[in-house]
Amino acid sequence: MLKYTLRRVLGMIPMLFLVSVVVFFLAKAMPGDSLSGEIDPTNTNPEYIAEMREKLGYNDPVYVQYYRWVTDFMSGDFGKSTRYKMPVADLIGEKLPNTIFLALTSLLITYVLAFAMGMYSGRKPYTLGDNLIAGFNYAGIAIPSFVAGVFAVYFFAFKLNWFPFAGSVDIEIDKGTIEYWMSRIHHVMLPAFVLGMFSTASYTQFLRNDLIENSRKDFVRTALAKGTPMGKIYNVHILRNSIIPLVTFLGFDIAALVGGAIITEKIFTYPGIGLLFLDSVNNRDYPTVMAITMMLSAMVLIGNLIADILYGIVDPRIRLG
Amino acid sequence: MTTNAATGAVKRTEKSSSPWAIARRKFLRNKLAMASTVFLILVIILTLLAPFLAPHLSPIPDITKVNISKMSIPPNGDHLLGTDKSGRDVMTRLLYGGRISLLVGASATLIVVVLGTIVGSVAGFFGGAVDSLLMRFTDFVLNFPFLVFVIVLNTILFGIVDGLWVLILVIGLLSWGGVARIVRSKVLAEKENEYVLAAISIGTPPAKVIIKHLLPNVLSTIIVQATLLFASLIVAETGLSYLGFGVPQETPSWGNMLAFANEPDVLQGKPWIWMPPALIITATILSINFIGEGLKDALNPKSQR
Amino acid sequence: MKRKSMLWLFAMILVLSAFLAACGGGGSDDASESDSGESKDGEKATEEQSGEPQQGGTLTYGLDATPEGLYNWAFYGIATDAEIIEFFDEGLIEYDENLQPIPNLAEWETEDNQHFTFKFKEGVKWHNGEELTVNDWVFALETIAHPDYDGPRYANVETIEGAPAFRAGEADSISGLKVVDDYTIEVTFDEPRLNNLTNIWSYPMSQKEFEGIEVADMSGSEQVRTKPVGLGPFKVENIVPGESIELVKNEDYWNGEVNLDKIIIRVIDNTATVGALQNGDIDMISLQPVSAPDVEKLDNVEVVTAPGLSYYYVGFKLGKFDNASKTITEELPKYQDVNLRKAMAHAINREEWIDAFFFGYGKPVNKPVPTAHWIAADDSEVNVYEYDPEKAKQLLDEAGFVDTNDDGFREDPNGEEFVVKFSHYATGNPTFESRSQAIAQYWEEVGLKSEVEMVEVNLYYDMVEKDDPSIETFFGGWGTGTDPDPSALWKADQLWNYPRYDNPEADALLEQALSVEEVGDDQEKRAQVYAEWQKKVTEDVPMIFIAELDEIMGVGEKVGGFSMDVSGYNNPAEWYLKQ
Repeated sequence: MLKYTLRRVLGMIPMLFLVSVVVFFLAKAMPGDSLSGEIDPTNTNPEYIAEMREKLGYNDPVYVQYYRWVTDFMSGDFGKSTRYKMPVADLIGEKLPNTIFLALTSLLITYVLAFAMGMYSGRKPYTLGDNLIAGFNYAGIAIPSFVAGVFAVYFFAFKLNWFPFAGSVDIEIDKGTIEYWMSRIHHVMLPAFVLGMFSTASYTQFLRNDLIENSRKDFVRTALAKGTPMGKIYNVHILRNSIIPLVTFLGFDIAALVGGAIITEKIFTYPGIGLLFLDSVNNRDYPTVMAITMMLSAMVLIGNLIADILYGIVDPRIRLG
Repeated sequence: MTTNAATGAVKRTEKSSSPWAIARRKFLRNKLAMASTVFLILVIILTLLAPFLAPHLSPIPDITKVNISKMSIPPNGDHLLGTDKSGRDVMTRLLYGGRISLLVGASATLIVVVLGTIVGSVAGFFGGAVDSLLMRFTDFVLNFPFLVFVIVLNTILFGIVDGLWVLILVIGLLSWGGVARIVRSKVLAEKENEYVLAAISIGTPPAKVIIKHLLPNVLSTIIVQATLLFASLIVAETGLSYLGFGVPQETPSWGNMLAFANEPDVLQGKPWIWMPPALIITATILSINFIGEGLKDALNPKSQR
Repeated sequence: MKRKSMLWLFAMILVLSAFLAACGGGGSDDASESDSGESKDGEKATEEQSGEPQQGGTLTYGLDATPEGLYNWAFYGIATDAEIIEFFDEGLIEYDENLQPIPNLAEWETEDNQHFTFKFKEGVKWHNGEELTVNDWVFALETIAHPDYDGPRYANVETIEGAPAFRAGEADSISGLKVVDDYTIEVTFDEPRLNNLTNIWSYPMSQKEFEGIEVADMSGSEQVRTKPVGLGPFKVENIVPGESIELVKNEDYWNGEVNLDKIIIRVIDNTATVGALQNGDIDMISLQPVSAPDVEKLDNVEVVTAPGLSYYYVGFKLGKFDNASKTITEELPKYQDVNLRKAMAHAINREEWIDAFFFGYGKPVNKPVPTAHWIAADDSEVNVYEYDPEKAKQLLDEAGFVDTNDDGFREDPNGEEFVVKFSHYATGNPTFESRSQAIAQYWEEVGLKSEVEMVEVNLYYDMVEKDDPSIETFFGGWGTGTDPDPSALWKADQLWNYPRYDNPEADALLEQALSVEEVGDDQEKRAQVYAEWQKKVTEDVPMIFIAELDEIMGVGEKVGGFSMDVSGYNNPAEWYLKQ
């Protein structure tokens, strides 16, 4: 297992290198730069813009720029954001905890809801409750997250006033106190739920079908014949079998959250990596765009790696492939 | 219902119909999938007929003209769904917008399916170095965060190629990885069958083996995949347009119409502008998903229904 | 073990549901509070205590854009950051409602518009307790003139004698700055100019605070980003980057007592503006025209407007500019006929357009200077192009643009197809497309076939700047500052003269207006010269002036002591909350 993991980790290196080439040249190919569009004559002038372009090295040959960027990147220097005028690493460090918090909350909600609903549906298939849950599932899968997000802001934040409509925390509360964390949780609930809706629905569906299928298997009949109560059979035998494949989804989840966070953070004005990314693309903040893209690509890679490894643990045959 | 369907299926297999005929019968009996199919076909027909229907639906059938005197009118007799902030009839735009959204979804799906099938079947059939090279490349493409790269690519190509095709190409070129993997694994399995080995041994050219013998057997998988992809690529179009990185603004699409919800006064004050596209997107995706599920059931020989 | 995990699961669900309930409760409390605020008692209180500032309270100020987080006058880049700095820092000079400079932290004297003596107020304290001296100003000027400085403000220091030498590293200090004592400084400029005072950088930086920080590192330092100090009525207490800022009353404020205890600045999405004002989540916010009509309908919020200093235009590309030689090298023929340009100006119904897309929060502008500015000419002194489609058609007929092939659109004088190409920038905002389409339609109504092209915004200004051939007529907007000199946007040797307007007479007038010999301190004479220039420009129509927009502020009924004019709003120290 260790050897397999090691091989997969080493395999990521050329992949990351290729990604870095693509990321860099794509970023450079974006029209305009961070200084285009600055025509506020009260604030700046053409000489300053020309000087900054030279200073930032935008006039050097592209391969020189790439070499500089990639060597800096390897040594941990992600460059300086052209918009925020601060090291990109610090900038990302500022926003990343928010996104991680959002992602973890979303995962938690997803798994809790999916377990609860999936188990209910799986144990009592074709009942009213199951049909209701199925209805929720279909809606969860079909309603695009941005549509759901817009509806959620409209109803839960404005009409019902249950949740805040923007931000990640109430500034007046002192850091570190319990209220502080409650405020953060309060702010993150709505976006996290929208973010996790799709996977909640698909996991519920998966768990339900798996439970139904497993309940028809021989070992269940055997257990029943031996007089084990049905409840225990579900909790001990069936659930365990159904959870294992679900766990392997975790890796894919990480990859899916990456894309989802962009849309969700935009709708809820939740200051995380996704919002920073959109902002940076719109402002042509190359160092930030490149660093985030690299980071997200690496996360997808790692996510897939985790998925494969978990899968390898569950199903040893995979390791050979 | 399950038992009835099961016995029905068994009875008919006794008459030894072709697998496709069985699938068709199974699908026809799936009420949800059938209702969805009818709905989807209806939507497609309505959007295709947009130029003919528009003059009857609205006094201002032109979807590009701005009508300053008719801006933001709530639904009424003249405008069944009201008008948007440019004074354009929402109903008419919904029909025209559907053409674009469905076109983007369908074209991108076609690209994805063709690319994915070619890469997957070639990799699976030849195996060895070809396989590992192609699969490495597939991994590479799959490892891009989709949304991130679509946004960046779309920004680059904006203005170079006609806007709509930029989006179709970009979505298409970034999404084929999944199909390629599935096709490959199916081909790998099929390849071991004796009839394929026989075909290869008598010197049938690889292209012929793939097209004549392997693809028909993975076709059912591809069809189901394509259906589900169609739905998710429509979501991709609408989502990107909503974020402002999709179809150019001057082209009406469901996503662009929904983007009006970003306007401060629209989300709360003028729901007739954003709700219709939001609802039609949801309904369309839902129906395509039902069709996909139906097809999956129908094409799965093991399924009970 | 199994049971434990099940328990854990239930615990989670319980916590979540308890939490939902708590949130619901909190929400209804808020609602009842704002209800009572709208009751009769509230109104009575307003009447009784109007004009009588009350002490204390926390005001929540909204921002509908995300700040970049550069909270220092010398380093900030966008207006949102400036809006925040306003609260906690101020400069040596202020501007009155006529945009004339008035003393704030310092007074000045000059004989010849080249040598100035500034006298600072004594006893003014930075938020860190240090006293403000002229050295803090020298420090700011030297920071900006430093070769490592990465902000855009060098143009405001360049004109001080010796600044270029300091920047080139040839001198250790700026020779034009002579510190007399802690409160007096003499400043010498490289030449006498009428706008030396309005152009010079007038914001000190606390020398003590930035001690030991290299200029290159300043913009990323916590002194700029998270713990800025200033001289203003409020002190920065806490910053959650990109989200909110907490400001508290400065007890030692030099310019009178500060009424509020606290100001919370919150970043919100513009879709949330109306709801947030209605719920009382924010007390004040600068509004976009699109939100203003909905805010007007709210009982608990007042909409305050003041004329703005920016305007929108439709430009014609008349030539090509060579940036190396700073000259207009080529004349583009398509729109050279002045009657064509005039006709296109007459064709546009600006009132209708402004009402439709800016909801009436603006008015047509007829000259290259916003009406509120003191150098703006009266409409009677310039050529005004009212909406007059008949006149437009007549002008086009006379210019030889007639429909020769009966396709419903005019051909050019040579009988060739004539299509006006109109470019507008594209962002995520869907109304940009319809407002540019509307302008194209006005032209089509007088028989000119028109096409709209939406160009991605980052690309757009590059293309406009580089005279890309695909840009023919283009939409744009810009603002003027307090310094009235429009040279940077209009003279033939300027890169930002986007239409490539080239009229030596107009350029001569711009130079004359700044000349000490010819105009001197005579403001009226100066305004007169600028009026002549404006007349010239409106005769030549290098661009169609469309609209100047109002600055709009949504102010909750609880807020008192707020006023706004063209120079911005009044000192936040005077704001208060009615209890």
